[in-house]
Amino acid sequence: MRTFTRLLTFLRPYRRGVIWSFVLAVLAMVATVAIPWLTGRAIDEVRDGDQDQLVTLGLLIGAAGVFRLLLTVGRRLVAGRVSLGVEVDLRQRMYAHLQSLELAFFDRQQTGQLMSRATVDLQSVRFFLGYGLIFLSQPLLTILVAAVAMMAIDPVLALITLAPVPIVVLVAFRYGKRSRPELQELQQRIGELTAEAEENISGVRVVKAFAREGRQLLRFEASTRRVFTQAMVTTRQRAFYQPFIGFLPQLGLAALLFVGGRRVIDGQLSLGQFTAFYTYLLMLLGPMRMLGMALGLAQRATASGARVFEILDRAPEIVAPEGAPALPPGSGAVRFDHVTLRYDGANRDALHDVDLEVAAGTTVALVGATGSGKTTLAQLIGRLYDPTEGRVLVDGADVRSVDVVSLRRAVAIVDDDPFLFSDTVHANIAYAREDASREEVEEAARRAQAHDFIARLPEGYDTRVGERGLTLSGGQRQRIAIARALLADPRVLILDDATSSVDASTEQSIKVALREAMEGRTTFVIAHRLSTIALASEIIVLEDGRVVARGTHDELLEISPLYQEIVEKGLPDSVFLTEKPRERKVAGF
Amino acid sequence: MAGPISGSPRGPRVAMSREELRRRMKQTGGRGRKIRGLLELLKPYRGRVALMFVALIFATAASLAPPPLAKAAIDDGIVPGDLGTLDWVVAGFVIAALTYWGASYVQTYLVGWVGQRVLQDLRKKIFTHLQEMPVGFYERRQAGVLISRMTNDVEALDSLVSDSVVTLFQASLTLLGTIAILAFLDLELAALTFLIFPVMFAASLAFRIISADAYARTRNTIGAITGYLQETLSGVRVVRAFGQEPRHLARFRALNLKNRDANMTTVYLNAAYFPAVEFISAVATVGILIYGGMQVIDGEVTVGVLVAFIAALNGFFEPIQQLSQLYTQYQAGMAALDKIFELLDEQPDLVDAADAVDLPSPLRGEIVFDGVTFSYRTEDDEIVNALSDVELTIPPGQTVALVGATGAGKSTFAKLVARFYDPTAGAVLVDGVDLRRARTDSLRSQMGIVPQEPFLFSGTLRENVAFGRLEARDDEVWTALRGVGADDFVRALPDGLETQIGERGISLSAGQRQLVAFARALIADPRILILDEATANVDLHTEGKIEAGMRRLLAGRTAIVIAHRLSTIRQAGRIVVLDGGRVIEQGTHDELVAAQGAYWRLYRDWAENTAA
Repeated sequence: MRTFTRLLTFLRPYRRGVIWSFVLAVLAMVATVAIPWLTGRAIDEVRDGDQDQLVTLGLLIGAAGVFRLLLTVGRRLVAGRVSLGVEVDLRQRMYAHLQSLELAFFDRQQTGQLMSRATVDLQSVRFFLGYGLIFLSQPLLTILVAAVAMMAIDPVLALITLAPVPIVVLVAFRYGKRSRPELQELQQRIGELTAEAEENISGVRVVKAFAREGRQLLRFEASTRRVFTQAMVTTRQRAFYQPFIGFLPQLGLAALLFVGGRRVIDGQLSLGQFTAFYTYLLMLLGPMRMLGMALGLAQRATASGARVFEILDRAPEIVAPEGAPALPPGSGAVRFDHVTLRYDGANRDALHDVDLEVAAGTTVALVGATGSGKTTLAQLIGRLYDPTEGRVLVDGADVRSVDVVSLRRAVAIVDDDPFLFSDTVHANIAYAREDASREEVEEAARRAQAHDFIARLPEGYDTRVGERGLTLSGGQRQRIAIARALLADPRVLILDDATSSVDASTEQSIKVALREAMEGRTTFVIAHRLSTIALASEIIVLEDGRVVARGTHDELLEISPLYQEIVEKGLPDSVFLTEKPRERKVAGF
Repeated sequence: MAGPISGSPRGPRVAMSREELRRRMKQTGGRGRKIRGLLELLKPYRGRVALMFVALIFATAASLAPPPLAKAAIDDGIVPGDLGTLDWVVAGFVIAALTYWGASYVQTYLVGWVGQRVLQDLRKKIFTHLQEMPVGFYERRQAGVLISRMTNDVEALDSLVSDSVVTLFQASLTLLGTIAILAFLDLELAALTFLIFPVMFAASLAFRIISADAYARTRNTIGAITGYLQETLSGVRVVRAFGQEPRHLARFRALNLKNRDANMTTVYLNAAYFPAVEFISAVATVGILIYGGMQVIDGEVTVGVLVAFIAALNGFFEPIQQLSQLYTQYQAGMAALDKIFELLDEQPDLVDAADAVDLPSPLRGEIVFDGVTFSYRTEDDEIVNALSDVELTIPPGQTVALVGATGAGKSTFAKLVARFYDPTAGAVLVDGVDLRRARTDSLRSQMGIVPQEPFLFSGTLRENVAFGRLEARDDEVWTALRGVGADDFVRALPDGLETQIGERGISLSAGQRQLVAFARALIADPRILILDEATANVDLHTEGKIEAGMRRLLAGRTAIVIAHRLSTIRQAGRIVVLDGGRVIEQGTHDELVAAQGAYWRLYRDWAENTAA
């Protein structure tokens, strides 16, 4: 209930619209209810043979129709505006909130989970706030007003004939409640079927190579059977409830004929009143069903609302203090002051008591096995995470004390598997500086050794890349990411060397690009190969989150056995001659 | 709306071009195919379909009964004051309601049953068909498109089969029944009532067509929002790293507003349509009331008839609205059906010959390329030779490393051995048998393939290792795992062999997946092995394991390796260097380095780079 009332606060900016739509709805309802009443009166006039009265009543019904038309149009427009406004607000608020949460939050959440909250749950909340309230209030009003009208005519008959109403509402509500989990389960199984089909199409070569078509078909059949079984569960529910909901009100009508008919014969009720009753009952068929549905909607929206609030209530952890100053000017000196970091839920430190000072303008290579803390260390500089203990300083300022955006604009990262947005090459390079001219973008691309291949793309710099665009090879994506970082012109540059192999000539040009990128700034290179280590003036060796050695290549060969081992066994390229293939949709050769 | 709904191709249309005519004729032909196809699918269930129709007729009749019964109650029971008749009518009323309930249950259940069965059959049919298609078929198509045939398109049919068909019959029957009853009650009043039919129908259809567009726009705009959300969440690191949150917020807002505007159009449409329908019904009530009332006063019509008419008006609007609603669903369903049948009509072009023979078992493993050329047509309609006139004999048990740049023809070479394709000219022979004359099953059951990306299936680790030999016992699975050095990590897994490895083996590391793929090939103990070496760097420890595992896998069988690592190439019995689809050099590493040819140049470039 708490969640429910909290959901209603989203309507606050629109209270005028909400009030208006209620007023209009009530008035329209009065007109709606008036029509059967007038019709009943007209029937009585017919029996009395009064033509003039008949025409007058007819015209009154027409007038009520016009009145209702205008009110309903108005109500729909007002309510539509409110509901769409709420939708935009909710979605924007959710998105803004997600953008303000720290990265650690995203590490713990699956993207799919977040997506489902931001789409499915949001959808049911806004559907309820937008339409559900109307669905809830309108049938309720209709039933109430009609019930009052019927009571006015004949209270006993009204009670008898309205008896099925609460049952219908309850049954409809129950149907909604019962069918939802079953329908979700059906969706789930269809999802599994899709995954099964997807897997077989993507892995078709393996299936064929092992001549396993028959077995895969059996598996797929089992999946289709599971879908069928569940579909039949929902079918049985539908087959039972839907006709049942249609059946119950008919009992009210039968009761009307039975009891009401007798009353007319006894003269307690006029035939016109009887007709009015009949029409009212017909009129209530829709609202009864709708009320049950709307109750279901409300219940669902409350559940979804709880999940939405779970995110909205999550306070962002990485925020700069109110009115934090921008990063002070400098040329990118970085200091780790006894830094320890343990990720949430981890049982050991990712970094342990790291104390490092890196002078402005130097290039440092971070070397170590997977999981030794290289990437974590680099991510602390741009304050993508906060250390558990100790401080990180950039140009003398604790990163926690300065404006986050100003800090991040001074620190650029080139990932090992760079993420490109579904946009043009130009927009991707100009990501950090949207206003950059084509000349500036080209200049950055040239320095990143990317211009040549970009010029050969079908539409040059206007070629769309990323998930919904042209697929680029790993080496190409990396050079675009380098250009993106160059254009940002950061004080500190973090390069995560590609873990995927590229051919000799691509590697050569990436190396040239990297050297260009390091010029005049502090650079951290997370190196996986000897050739990139060679770019650095100093090497830091990490093991299990600790700095174990520091020095030049030659120094380290003498003092660090770990470094020796890495150089001897780990880093020489064993990949030879061939280019890394473009990502393929279908696995195979 | 040049849709399948428009009737015959010979309409009163002026100056229809021949092209247009042909197109329309074709469309009609397609419809015949579709309907035949659908009937075919329904055939096994004709008993139930017939039963469903019986139930449908009962349900509709029962739902039509109340207005005439109400009329009878008034005219024969209430007005003359005949209680006996009234009670009979009320009993009839209750019986009609019960019949409706029962018959609807049967009908809904049967529709669901038959519909779901048909969909199940259709899915299986598509799946089987896809599996029969050769590998080349998959290369011309995006996996996503094929998957959507089996999912989205089948689901579009779902709503057509399980919803629309019933609605179509039920609404039509209801409408016809109502018309019949009204006409029977009073022809003149009925004629007056029917005046609103065309108005309603036209309004509803127009609304559907206009709003279909508007709804499509809302779907597209919401799709854009979802896509944007998905992308910025996946790329959240980049967004943060460059501090670009405000920009994305602004862009998101723009998308959001666009969606709102699209939604607003539907609000306008709905605000015009639904109240208008209500209004028309009020107008109709007024018309019938005044005109019919006059006739009652004149004694030409009974009061009961008048009440029945007013009650029946309610029953009119629903079927009309339902029928117009069908239009969009019908279109979507037919479009889906089109695409499905198009796929099913496609014939596999690589099938075993009628007189195909089984290859000897076990194979010796000799492979001969006898003047093999393989060409294909590009998108620009150029004919390109992926392999030209390759002449090569691989003796049983030899490991051949294929070396060359991307596009040199390495993978085409391997695919021809697996008979994923047939050569354009020349022949590929295994143990002296032309592969075109051999049964594909007999070849592939003795062949192992390790793709570059080791594709694993969701399921247990055991199932994946035993993929090629389901009957393999646990100790055999362990032997294979030990053989490739994968037993350590499997033992460390929480559920050992029964560990669920997730979709595509996502819960394993890249190196582990590679080892599992080796074990999968090893347990099948193939005579011929095709291995596409992975290029991804893995950590030091795993790298060594993979090397050892591979050595074990290659031993004692004919192997074709698309090689990227120098260590692999060095160990091969023979290196075949391909360039532009031709074999330009072959020999051992030492021979080729000594020869100072193409291989030597590649080797020199690599060595220089590494030293830098």
